[in-house]
Amino acid sequence: MSRENKTEEDGKENMAAWLVGIKTLRIQPYTLPPLGPHDAKIRIKAVGICGSDVHHFKHMRCANFVVKKPMVIGHECAGVVEEVGSQVKSLTVGDRVALEPGISCGRCNSCRVGRYNLCSEMKFFGSPPTNGSLATMVLHPANLCFKLPDNVSLEEGAMCEPLSVGVHACRRANIGPETKVLIVGAGPIGLVSMLAARAFGAPKIVMVDIDDCRLSFAKKLGADGTILASTKIEDVQDEVIQIENAIGARVDVSFDCVGVDKTMTTALSATRAGGKVCLVGLAQSQMSIPLTPAAAREVDVIGIFRYRNTWPLCIDFLRTGKIDVKPLITHRFSFSQQDVEKAFETTARGGNAIKVMFNL
Amino acid sequence: MGSCEENMAAWLYGVNDLRVLPYKLPALGPRDVRVSMKAVGICGSDVHYLKTMSCGHFLVKEPMVIGHESAGIIDEVGSEVTTLAPGDRVALEPGTGCWRCDRCKEGRYNLCPDMKFFATPPIHGSLANKIVHPADLCFKLPDNVSLEEGAMCEPLSVGVYACRRAQIGPETNVLVMGAGPIGLVSLLAARAFGAPRIVVVDVDRNRLSVAKEVGAFATVQVSTKTEDIEKEVEQIQKAVGGVGIDVTLDCVGFSKTMSTALSATRSGGKVCLVGMGHCDMTIPLTPAAAREVDILGVFRYKNTWPQCLEFLSSGKIDVKPLITHRYGFSQEEVVDAFETSARGSNAIKVMFNL
Repeated sequence: MSRENKTEEDGKENMAAWLVGIKTLRIQPYTLPPLGPHDAKIRIKAVGICGSDVHHFKHMRCANFVVKKPMVIGHECAGVVEEVGSQVKSLTVGDRVALEPGISCGRCNSCRVGRYNLCSEMKFFGSPPTNGSLATMVLHPANLCFKLPDNVSLEEGAMCEPLSVGVHACRRANIGPETKVLIVGAGPIGLVSMLAARAFGAPKIVMVDIDDCRLSFAKKLGADGTILASTKIEDVQDEVIQIENAIGARVDVSFDCVGVDKTMTTALSATRAGGKVCLVGLAQSQMSIPLTPAAAREVDVIGIFRYRNTWPLCIDFLRTGKIDVKPLITHRFSFSQQDVEKAFETTARGGNAIKVMFNL
Repeated sequence: MGSCEENMAAWLYGVNDLRVLPYKLPALGPRDVRVSMKAVGICGSDVHYLKTMSCGHFLVKEPMVIGHESAGIIDEVGSEVTTLAPGDRVALEPGTGCWRCDRCKEGRYNLCPDMKFFATPPIHGSLANKIVHPADLCFKLPDNVSLEEGAMCEPLSVGVYACRRAQIGPETNVLVMGAGPIGLVSLLAARAFGAPRIVVVDVDRNRLSVAKEVGAFATVQVSTKTEDIEKEVEQIQKAVGGVGIDVTLDCVGFSKTMSTALSATRSGGKVCLVGMGHCDMTIPLTPAAAREVDILGVFRYKNTWPQCLEFLSSGKIDVKPLITHRYGFSQEEVVDAFETSARGSNAIKVMFNL
């Protein structure tokens, strides 16, 4: 049932965390546009912080996306349906939903072949100039709001977003019950890639990182082996031998969840002839890597950009318990000026902070 | 049995040291054939071995017969060979896998770690009067396909295999980097696979006119300078008529060509690295990955001879314009032929007639 749209609910203004300058976030009013016939208004309950949010926070840009005017931050979110547009049949007020951030155009070549993550007109929460979702309420197309089963919490709903990256990577790399996997980088993305790979049936997963604590965490979450690596390129050969010993076989697929020269070099060298390396982590722009020897072994390099059509599968993995993302949520904050600042500081620190979550 | 003349071959003895000397053949196994070689082409890798006694991680440690792009006439067949007979004209696939390893058993025998390949040390090549080879690697030439065209099946196979890996078809707009022999066979193969538009780029204007003659939709002359990439990508987009480039075949393999390839290919497209130039490359990999432009490696070929012969027989592919220079099989001519091939430029495929 839709009511006349109001920008003020119960007399209180809608508030959001606005990025107004470098390292400057301010909780300020956020006026929502009118509710369209296919939209839903969502009361946001859980929002996670992503490395890209931190990057925007620190630099007012992320790759080619430049923050030119104040922008609401945040895109990993879940909430409760507050109101639905006149044509919405899939949702009712009170439904608990996880939100897929990106609105694609449906008209460009990428959209028309179903690769909407590559849409040239993509409007994505928290990618300038599109406002994000760290707010009391947001408006969003109903078809991008996915109902959560009773046994899946709102925080887990928010985790569907990073988990989707892992799921999309596993699909592109064709992970299955015979795929032995190497994951370089045990940060949030490396960890969701591991959880996804296991859910897709991977029998052996080895994780590499430079941080011992993150490696023990990965071990607790189910990694079959972990290798402590250095940042030095000279150590690649040695580390590849350690990887092969740990995995007990040849690596079929590697996920580089970092994306620098060394990690890509390690991934290319460690992967067997005919295997695949997915570049998931988007760190360095220019890379110097031994591409030719890899190509001469037909080790293919597969690019991963966000995800497409992953929410239903993520929710199903969470519902059945095939994936448990709850251990990744290490820190929680509330939606206040002070807590927003502390939360970003905590995430930026890395270390034992894996996923920092806002509870609204 | 056989003629009373000694079997001679072109032996690589050292850097720039090729000698035509006797070559004693092994005994004919039950599944082997002995072939009188008639046409042998020179490949860039043969030239590389001549100049450096190495290629990639392969080292020539003792004298080795050179050459691997070949066709000839069957002399004699082993006791269990039923598919071939003396007098048959055949094209030779150079490499045999072990058929026991994981790669062979999944059909990717080109990646066999124990591959025995003509003129990849320590396996002797085929620039010789006669050689012994497994029968199942010898493919009968249709009547209307010459022995020279038979020899061309080898480089053509690289182009055909690249087109298969990249899934080139009637909707695939293609960019080919490099108009050397490999770029040209890739162009011919892409056309045969139905690609509607193929743009070819090179630094050499003469090679670009050859590309135009054999069917390039458009050509763009490029530089060796990285600063020119942005401008060249614009020229490429203009040349292809503003439609997206779906697949790029880098038939050179340097940082600049690979960087151009990644920038020029549309989101969700593919770049095949076919040419083996530099080992380490500095390329804008992340922006490409963030547009899901995938990079596919291409190493030699697999199961391509029948298709190549089909293309040649039907006329869908004409490789004859690529054969620019011909030599006989003597000490002097072998040396001259390699010099010509190494020179590049207007020398595309140098062919021996034996």
